[in-house]
Amino acid sequence: MTTQIIESVLEEAKKQGAKKVIEVQLVIGKMTFLGTEQVRFSYNILVEDTIMKGSKLIIEEKDGVIECSSCGYRGEIPVVDDPAYHVPIPTLRCPKCAKAAKIVEGKECTIRSIRMVK
Amino acid sequence: MANTKDVIKGEEVTLEIQPGMNILEVNKKLAQKNMELLRKHNVKAIDIMGSIGAGKTCLIEKLVQALKQKYRIAVFKGDLTTTIDAERIRRHGVQVITINTGRECHLDANVVARAVERISLEAIDLLIIENVGNLICPAEFPLGTDKRVVVVSVTEGPYMVVKHPFTFMNADVMVINKKDLAETMKIDTKQLEKQVKEIKPDVKVAVTNALSGEGVEELIKALEL
Repeated sequence: MTTQIIESVLEEAKKQGAKKVIEVQLVIGKMTFLGTEQVRFSYNILVEDTIMKGSKLIIEEKDGVIECSSCGYRGEIPVVDDPAYHVPIPTLRCPKCAKAAKIVEGKECTIRSIRMVK
Repeated sequence: MANTKDVIKGEEVTLEIQPGMNILEVNKKLAQKNMELLRKHNVKAIDIMGSIGAGKTCLIEKLVQALKQKYRIAVFKGDLTTTIDAERIRRHGVQVITINTGRECHLDANVVARAVERISLEAIDLLIIENVGNLICPAEFPLGTDKRVVVVSVTEGPYMVVKHPFTFMNADVMVINKKDLAETMKIDTKQLEKQVKEIKPDVKVAVTNALSGEGVEELIKALEL
């Protein structure tokens, strides 16, 4: 995934005729499987031989939002807080009507902005 | 289109662009294309995910045996290397395409689209895709199938579901396999079922022993086949 992010940034930078990329801002949804620590770690290794070397990576994490087609609830992802699990487990059970809701936000991995020197 | 904004600092021109590119959206769009193509040819498609050794291939063998009179079936078999599993399925008389991913831990919509090009969609009604053995990554990459199945087996322990809530949120059907070993493993399959329904209330559950074929009918019903 990080490779894909970097490839997209480099492609955009090439289109703009940039000499150097100095900052990349990402938005990563909390309902994806992407760990921001791991993205950061691999980013620094993968940019090494590119014009992105030394660039600042800013990651904004976006909360998950669900929507229920049965009762119309829209809001944050509810959690099951059973002490047996030690940590709260996210659930798609609608907090209002208990039917199955769908994730509408929090599954994105977006390049919000790139700052580059021409 | 990207919005650009020039900022001039000294002699350097800093360009800020907002491409608003959604990296995961690329796969999703390809998946949508796969789905449209399959539907156009009236081909039903199923993505089977689960850990290494959960019993995915064995279940597919049993599904093929039970369904090959009713449907003309093709199977895509995702694996890092080898065609061992493909041979297991092929001996049941159906077309099998191996997708060796090399190092990738999951199939994506792009490799599936390429595999679809290698088969004749006119000649099949059902496509079963066995994903790479991995309980986490495949869930992030829809392939364009009608149903997504997650197979867990009782030998994987009692916390498979609650440890992987995001995987099960993406599943339409969960299979609890190796039910014959549940007692030995001290696993209550009812508890696993309760946990998955807590995370995804509309998920369908089938409890199976893929080796003997027990519960396969239940799975076929859950898959609406």
